[in-house]
Amino acid sequence: MQQRNRLEPYFENLVFERDDNHMVINFGPQHPSAHGQLRLILEMDGEQVAKAWPDIGYLHRGMEKMAENMIYNEFLPTTDRMDYIAATSNNYAFALAVERLLGIEDKVPRRAKVIRMILLELNRIISHLFWLATHALDVGAMSVFLYCFREREYAMDLMEDYCGARLTHSAVRIGGVPLDLPEGWLERLNWFLNILPEQIELYEGLLSENRIWRMRLENVGVIPPEMAKQWACSGIMLRGSGIPYDIRKEEPYELYDEVDFDVPVSETCDSYGRYKLYMEEMRQSIRIIRQLIPMYKETEPQLLAHVPEYISAHKEDIMTQNYSLMQHFVLVTQGMRPPVGEVYVPTESPKGELGFYIRSEGEPYPYRMKIRAPSFWHTGILQDLLPGHYLADVVTIIGSTNIVFGEIDR
Amino acid sequence: MRPYRPKDNLQAKAYYNDRFWVAPRIPEEPVEDPVFAADLASLQEHYPIQRAYIQRGQLVIHIDAKENKEVLRYLKEELGYDVLSELSAIDYLAQDGEFEIFYQLLSLEKAKRIRVKCRIKEHEAIESVESIFRSADWSEREMYDMFGIKVNNHPNLKRILMPDDWVGHPLRKTYPLHGDEAAQWYEVDKIFGKEYRDIIGPEQRDAAFVDPNDTCNFARIKHEVPRCADPNSEPIRIEKFNDDAPFVETFDLKKAKIVNRDR
Amino acid sequence: MAQHQVNYAASGGLPVALTTVDKLVNWGRTNSLWVLTYGLACCAIEMMASGASRYDFDRFGVIFRASPRQADVMIVAGTLTKKHAEFIRRLYDQMAEPKWVISMGSCANTGGMFNTYATVQGVDRVIPVDIYLPGCAPRPETLQYAVMLLQKQIRKRSIFQKPKPKRLV
Repeated sequence: MQQRNRLEPYFENLVFERDDNHMVINFGPQHPSAHGQLRLILEMDGEQVAKAWPDIGYLHRGMEKMAENMIYNEFLPTTDRMDYIAATSNNYAFALAVERLLGIEDKVPRRAKVIRMILLELNRIISHLFWLATHALDVGAMSVFLYCFREREYAMDLMEDYCGARLTHSAVRIGGVPLDLPEGWLERLNWFLNILPEQIELYEGLLSENRIWRMRLENVGVIPPEMAKQWACSGIMLRGSGIPYDIRKEEPYELYDEVDFDVPVSETCDSYGRYKLYMEEMRQSIRIIRQLIPMYKETEPQLLAHVPEYISAHKEDIMTQNYSLMQHFVLVTQGMRPPVGEVYVPTESPKGELGFYIRSEGEPYPYRMKIRAPSFWHTGILQDLLPGHYLADVVTIIGSTNIVFGEIDR
Repeated sequence: MRPYRPKDNLQAKAYYNDRFWVAPRIPEEPVEDPVFAADLASLQEHYPIQRAYIQRGQLVIHIDAKENKEVLRYLKEELGYDVLSELSAIDYLAQDGEFEIFYQLLSLEKAKRIRVKCRIKEHEAIESVESIFRSADWSEREMYDMFGIKVNNHPNLKRILMPDDWVGHPLRKTYPLHGDEAAQWYEVDKIFGKEYRDIIGPEQRDAAFVDPNDTCNFARIKHEVPRCADPNSEPIRIEKFNDDAPFVETFDLKKAKIVNRDR
Repeated sequence: MAQHQVNYAASGGLPVALTTVDKLVNWGRTNSLWVLTYGLACCAIEMMASGASRYDFDRFGVIFRASPRQADVMIVAGTLTKKHAEFIRRLYDQMAEPKWVISMGSCANTGGMFNTYATVQGVDRVIPVDIYLPGCAPRPETLQYAVMLLQKQIRKRSIFQKPKPKRLV
């Protein structure tokens, strides 16, 4: 029993067979290995891709327009839904951009910084595990998917213990973090960090020397350094092309200049090199968190910056101090009014360079907010990258770019 | 009477403004950083620069919109700013009748960021920088899609995020957040046709909306009628709770039978 | 070769089970709900998690299929935008009867927090929905509960009744 509708069969308008023996193939927008809602229109010459037209916008929800109609604190939960695999890195990028706009970046308490960094690196691990799971599933390794999700659930439990949410964390506030780490959390984190390296070795044992895996990834999706620069690639896509640029090292924010970690770089420029980098980055994240645990124990228990003009006071003060209550009321109902000016803040999210450009006119609402999502350009590069590859490699290449449609379309 | 709202800027406004409050400004510092100063001096020799200052650690340069391609080419090829990480526009049509376009550049070697800004009038077009930075291909398409700014010499200038038959440019300040009429009926028109608008009904965008005539989903306090009954019918009078509700009885301990749990 | 004869009376009865056709068919339908993976946004990640090792959706007979022609249930997981609305209707039309729809998450139910120009305010404007599943994003347990509710709903239906035409809101 179907409602009548006026949708015609879709391929009527597309030319299948052309004079030059090229065939047009539609891929998506609802394809199980398109990592969301990517639609690719592929012009095939036999089995090889001659031209590729990525079509995006199937998840465009108008976040930038929403941001213009929301006060700054109100927008923070919306950033969760951008890169929903590692939500805290978005929250953090937004919070850091607003803090730099307000000029209170230095006033964030040290404990809040350490907690943020632990959460960021934990999110990086979650994101990379998820990437490996789905990428392996796309290439054809089902069991790696199940193994990766098992470890990912442990990390999700840690996030859930901290902020109460599995996926959309909102675990960072402008000016600090809302909560201290719960009791026994660090022990559980330690346990997780201890089991993870063994598991990473397990994945590598399953994949690294696997003949199928190597044949499908090696020399597939080669991005020369010049092309990576042209397409504004960032993160692992840039480091996979042999350019050692990590925003955590080059333009350090938070406490990244105090911790010791390496930036792995791959010279092979192909999907296999990028896979190696993902594995190595997880190990580096474990190393960073291990250094942060003793740093956490040395800090004072203050969690939010003391800037009464912009940031609400601690909950206990709001309940007992008259002035704090008034300030909190004004900040919640009217919102903070940042100074006039603009700021662009890049951060290193698991996908690449996640930047927020905020233009403020002194109003409680941002005049313009542009979200620089790394995946946007990593999808654009498919136009130049796919031609010449076989159809079977398309899935591998899409997988190795690690794109998430929440942040491409915003 | 409804208060007058300006139609040229539909962005949310603060409902209260202190008359004597003057917004502070982020300081625009002079260019003293040695790397930026050298780059700026080199650039100034070749192209006229309207303003240059450092804001929050990044160099901001205002240039003439006609020279955008040459300036970016110079920045890339001579000064090593080799990544165009962001490109977009800001709508100042209500105030000045202009768009502001910014290019956010990054030098991978120097680890420095420059923002190049220029302004164009509403119906002017800007030159594409796609031949210098390939990443501008998609950014300029997005800018065209969101603001309706035409880009000259672009290889494939069409909408990227919105569908091709979309009406209007969403990020302009004149475009309402909830969309215009074409946007609100877009999916119904496309799938079922315009004649289905009446059957499917308008979008429900108010989360707190209560329809007093819909007795299936909402109850009116002090005018309770049976479910799905005529909203104007005689309300049920509830004087004593137990008399009207046959399934609920007052618990009487004497009548109650105590069940033997051992059984 | 001597024929082996079974003494049913001695071994506990005839190998025959008596039941109604309704129960038999509904038993088959409820325990092999094949799901069309309609992952749109964040909820798709939770849908994958419920199919993965910890939550293990296979226990319910729920197997994810990529083709609408092999699927019974469509789980709309995530925000439906106006650009995509056409495609969800297309895929829904391709599914074979009987078919059910679970709308997963606030965005699919009502548009959720995305009250903007680009978002469809509820998938029930485009396709009829059987189960609405609240949450942003719902946990995998919630999705499993929704599937159990759907099984309950299917069991109630008699196969001899002509199904009521499902109506859009």
